[in-house]
Order: sequence, then structure tokens, then C-alpha cells
Amino acid sequence: MTGTAEPIVMDLKRAPNVHAATQAKGEALRAALAAQRTGTGLAAEQLDALPVPHRRVERWKHTPVAGFWSTPEAPSVQTIEAAGSEACPVPGLHAYRMVFVNGTFDAKASDLPVHNGVRCEPISMSDADAGSQGPLESTDWFAALNQAFATEGMKLHVAKGVILDRPLLVHHHTSGENNANFMRHDIHIEANAQVELIHWSTASDSSTGMVNIMTHMSVESGAVVALDKVQDEAGSLQHLAFEQINQAQSSQVRVHTGTIQGNWVRNDLNFRLNGEGCETVLNGFFLPKGKEFVDNHTTVDHRAAHCNSSEQYQGILYGTSSGVFNGKVFVRPHAQQTNAYQQNGNILVTDKATINAKPELEIYADDVKCSHGCTIGQFDEEALFYARSRGIGEKEAKAMLVHAFIGDVLEGFAVAEVRMEVEHRLAIKHGWDTWNDTLESA
Amino acid sequence: MVNIKELQASIGETPILKGLNLEIKPGEVHAIMGPNGSGKSTLASVLAGREDYEVTGGAVDFEGQDLLEMDATERARSGLFLAFQYPVEIPGVSNINFMRAAVNGKREHDGLEPIKGKDFLNLVKEKASLVELDGRLRNRSVNEGFSGGEKKRNEIFQMAMLEPRFAVLDETDSGLDIDALRIVANGVNAMRSPDRSFLVITHYQRLLDYIVPDFVHVLVDGKIVLSGDKDLALKLEEKGYDWIKEDVIA
Ligand SMILES: Nc1ncnc2c1ncn2[C@@H]1O[C@H](COP(=O)(O)OP(=O)(O)OP(=O)(O)O)[C@@H](O)[C@H]1O
Ligand SMILES: [Mg+2]
Repeated sequence: MTGTAEPIVMDLKRAPNVHAATQAKGEALRAALAAQRTGTGLAAEQLDALPVPHRRVERWKHTPVAGFWSTPEAPSVQTIEAAGSEACPVPGLHAYRMVFVNGTFDAKASDLPVHNGVRCEPISMSDADAGSQGPLESTDWFAALNQAFATEGMKLHVAKGVILDRPLLVHHHTSGENNANFMRHDIHIEANAQVELIHWSTASDSSTGMVNIMTHMSVESGAVVALDKVQDEAGSLQHLAFEQINQAQSSQVRVHTGTIQGNWVRNDLNFRLNGEGCETVLNGFFLPKGKEFVDNHTTVDHRAAHCNSSEQYQGILYGTSSGVFNGKVFVRPHAQQTNAYQQNGNILVTDKATINAKPELEIYADDVKCSHGCTIGQFDEEALFYARSRGIGEKEAKAMLVHAFIGDVLEGFAVAEVRMEVEHRLAIKHGWDTWNDTLESA
Repeated sequence: MVNIKELQASIGETPILKGLNLEIKPGEVHAIMGPNGSGKSTLASVLAGREDYEVTGGAVDFEGQDLLEMDATERARSGLFLAFQYPVEIPGVSNINFMRAAVNGKREHDGLEPIKGKDFLNLVKEKASLVELDGRLRNRSVNEGFSGGEKKRNEIFQMAMLEPRFAVLDETDSGLDIDALRIVANGVNAMRSPDRSFLVITHYQRLLDYIVPDFVHVLVDGKIVLSGDKDLALKLEEKGYDWIKEDVIA
């Protein structure tokens, strides 16, 4: 693959870095889970070998894990009806649907695709055994925990050349206290197939505990995939999302991650561009307020020549919220004529909000175009005054600037109904009366 | 219409306006001239409600209301307009949405329903033609990538859209070519009326050939030190400010 005999820096294993107290808490959680549920029988060795994350582990430096260690309880409800929530969180959306409530598949609330060349089923009902999910690629303890305990999720297979006629929505809903909900989505898109996926997470006001979702996606040559990922969870959950997306030659994948609401959110989005001519887009926004915490770790690993990746993450942090952005881009020695673009913009609305932003580029090829930019600033006071001097209210002026700041990311969401609902939810959360719906078309 | 009494304002610890008096009656056009750094834009900003400046003394009456008690949004909605010396770029916010929010803000203040999309677009068409604002500029982000002259035209376009009772034009002539100067001045003149007043800040007599003022004032070091009719502008053009500093102030 890389053609180098020696492992390059990014592949070097680091010595396990253990923090005794955190390690003990993590192991207690694991033991409690093992006592309560069957598990998959996988990842035991990895879990033994990996350190439970803490502040001295590089990828968890600014990501506090103290909230994770309550003893999990069995879910109180397992259907969307019992949880008193909606099966489809997006009004007017015409999509296939898989609903998971507290990690359990809710067949009644779901509407699985019936489509030639498409196999879509919950893992629990799939005849392919859980062991088919392949080796763990992440070296993260929480990811290994997912692999050990995620017995449910979506299995999706789209055959060669098939174009799914509607988007496919996966809705995760969480309710109740001390959750430890693991889900694993295995997605295989064959050559030249096309799908639009939506991952939407919701939660009830009183929900607590962990939601841990792992998505594995293998995208074969020429396939086109869009994933709109929206996190809008009330309550006070710890939400972990791992995505490993492997792209073959000339495939196109666009992932948009919008964090509307969430007490504690960690997104860990990883791309491997294994074949030439891949197109990869990963955009995201996060607008935490109050004490919310949102972390986006991304990796784009250019392993083949002539690939383009484009990344834009925009954060606006209110109140005493905090955020992390870590964007890794690797360009391997043979990935010549790579085009990699990364931009991360942040606005700190108050002087109590914080962001830790770190672009990391490791480039081992010489004929490449890579650019990155990172900004941290405040609302543009000049622009605000200018708007107010025209009679625009302060709140509306700020909403306009927000819209401008995340506008490009919003535009990129693949499904129009999703984008509209995202805007609507943001407006509710932040108390904006109006979004300036555009007039240009009028 | 506007009555400014002994106005004092500072930025940080530095006093800029040092007891400024000016009364502008309905329908009048006043011009303010004065050396760089004398406080002309500061006066404009203080009137518009920029919070960076601290008003340390004096009063401003605007049509019977205490202007200094209102925030910037309220002032604008009550009919005050400032054409900026340096108009601000707002990437990502289209000019037309910006103006619709502005127009609707004012309408809300006047107890009116938001303007209908079609009526708004007709209004835009009408007012844009007044200053010959290129149609393409309307859909672009506010002032982003506009040339200096286009920005100034856009200010006057905005003024025409909002139909203020009192407009302050801060060096609207700078950066305009000869034709644009005439167009902008014509736009302003078209808006002159017995119940609308203007305060025109400029360095050049040339603008005042087009927008003929009722009064000309000279601002030096935070105070109006000399007032006269339009001929004063001619004299300043010819003689500069030094004679004032020597004769009038000394
Ligand atoms: N934000 C600021 N911080 C510090 N000093 C300022 C600030 N704004 C204005 N000043 C100072 O206040 C004084 C008056 O500035 P102002 O912009 O009002 O002058 P002006 O008369 O409009 O000049 P010009 O003709 O060059 O436009 C200047 O000395 C300027 O440096
Ligand atoms: Mg000035």
C-alpha cells in the first residue's frame, strides 16, 4: 500500500500511557457491562492492551472522560412509542428509516428499504454473524468497548450500480438514566452504487449515560455516498461516534456533521483513501451553549494518488461551553498529486467559552497541494454595529452572522429537509426568530 | 430636528469631542469640514450610537427624544441614518437579505407588517435605479469585494431604502469618480425635502457644488470653531485651515 518498508511516523505505536485511577474506573465499567450483557466476544485483547483514555493520551488531551463511569443500567424502554418520541425527527422527510431506541431496534417505528440490490437489516436479525465485522481499526479504548458490546446496529449492503431511490435515515433515540448504548453500523456500498444516509440522534430531557456508535463504511470504486449526521440530544449524555470510511478508486463520499445539542459529544471521523481519484468532503458545525462540550477529531489518510479532500469545520461557542477540533491529514509517500484542503473557523461568543483547535498535517509526498487554516475570533463587532445602524436588532444581526459563518456547511447537507430542520432546531435552541430565508429566487 | 448641546465624547481616556454645539432644523443641509483627526467621524459615530465611544457630557435631542438614551438599532428605526466613511463588508450575508431585515426592522417599529417579497423587490429596483447601483451587487454579500465607489453608492442606496428623517453622510464623496459623484449627489438631492435633514461631512468643496448646503461648519479639535454659509466652503478650499487655527481660535 504505502510501498515503504519502514512504518512512518503516523503508524508508530506509542507506549501505553496508563492513568491508574481512570484505568480502574474504565475496567470497572467494562466488568459491569460484562456481568450484565452477552457482548460480542470480540476485542477482549485490545481492551486489555489499550489504555483507558485520560488527559495524558494525545487524542484525549482536551476531552474530559470523568462523566463516563456511572454503573450502567438496563434500558427502561425499547420502543419509540414507549419513549414518547417521534419515529422520524425530520418533518416532511420522505426516507427509509431504521429506528434504534436505547440501542434496541424498533421494528414497528422503522420502514426498511424494499429495493432491488439493497439489503438493509438490523444486525440482530442478520444471518451474517457479528464476527464478520472485521478487525478493529481504531486504537481507541472506547471504540474497542463498542466492538466488545455492540450487538445491534444496521447492516447495509448496496449492490453494484444500485441507486437507492430515497435517503435512508438511521434514528438513534436515547431515554432513561445510566445508559450504555452501543450500536454498530456496517455499511458496504458496491461499485458505482449511490446512497444518501442520515444519522440523526435524539434523546429525552432526563437521559443520562453513554451512547457509543461505531460506523464502518466500505465504499467501492465509483460509488457515491452522502452522510448527513445530526446530533440533537437533550438530557446529559456522553455521545461517542466513531466512523471509519474506506474509499476505493474514484469513489465520492461527503459527510456533514452538525451538532445542534449535546451535553458531551465526541466525533471521531476517519477516512482512508485507498484508491486513486477519490473525492472526500467532510464538513461540520457545532454551536454549543451552556456547559456543553463538543469534540471533532478527524483523520483523512491519503494512501493513493490523485485524490481530493476538502474539510471545513465551523464552531460558534456560547456561554461556558468548550470545543475541540483536531484535524489530521496524512499524505503517504505515493499519494502524489493529492489536493487536501482544511479549514476550521471558531467564534467565541463569550470570554468564558473555549476552543482547542489543532490542524495536523503530515505530508510524505512532494507533489501535493495541501492548505489549511484555523481561526479563532469573536463576532465581528464592526459588522454588528453596521447592521444595527441599519435598524436590524442585535439578536437578528447575530443570527445573520451565524448563518453566514456556517452557511457553507449548511448548504452542503445532502438532504434538503434535513438542512431545513437543522436550521429550525438551531433557531429554537438559540432563540432566533427568523433565519433569513433567501429572496434571490423570488 | 437635531439639537446637539455641549457634546463631549472620549475613546478610552482620550477626549475627542470637547463641547460641540449644533442645531439642525427640518429640511436643512449642514456641511461639516475640518482637518483630519478633528473628530468628524467621531461625531457621526456618536450620533449613530457606536458603543466604543463614551459620551462624557452634553445632550442630543432628536425630534423631541433623548437620542443618547437609545441604542443604535432604535436610533436607526427612529429615522437616523449614517452613511459610513468606511462601509463594512459582511461576507456570507447577501445585500438584499440585509436590506430586507433593515426595512422590516423599521416597519416593526412603525407597527407595520413585514414587507411582502414582491413589494420589497420593487422597492429595491426603484431605489437602486436612483443611484444606478448595478443589479448584480444586490445579490452579493454586503459590500464584499465592492470597489470603493460601489460601497459608497450602496450606502446611498441603503439610505434611499430606509428613507431616514436625518442622515449623516461621512465622506460619501471620497473614492467616487466624477460621474459617480454626480450620481450620488443627485440621489441625495432627490431625497431632500422639508422634513428631512442632512449632515454632510466632506473635505472637498466639489461635493457642495452638487449638494448645496444651508450652513457650513468647521470642526477643529472636537469643537465647531466657525460657521457660515456655503461661501465658507469656498474660502476653506482656497485657504486651508491654518488661518482658522491662527485667527479664530487664537
Ligand atoms: N477607535 C479609536 N481608538 C483610538 N483613537 C481613535 C479611535 N477612533 C478615533 N480615534 C481618534 O480620534 C480622533 C478623531 O478621529 P475621527 O475619525 O473622528 O477624525 P475625522 O475628523 O473623521 O478625520 P478624517 O478626516 O481623517 O476622517 C483621531 O485622533 C483618531 O485617531
Ligand atoms: Mg472621518
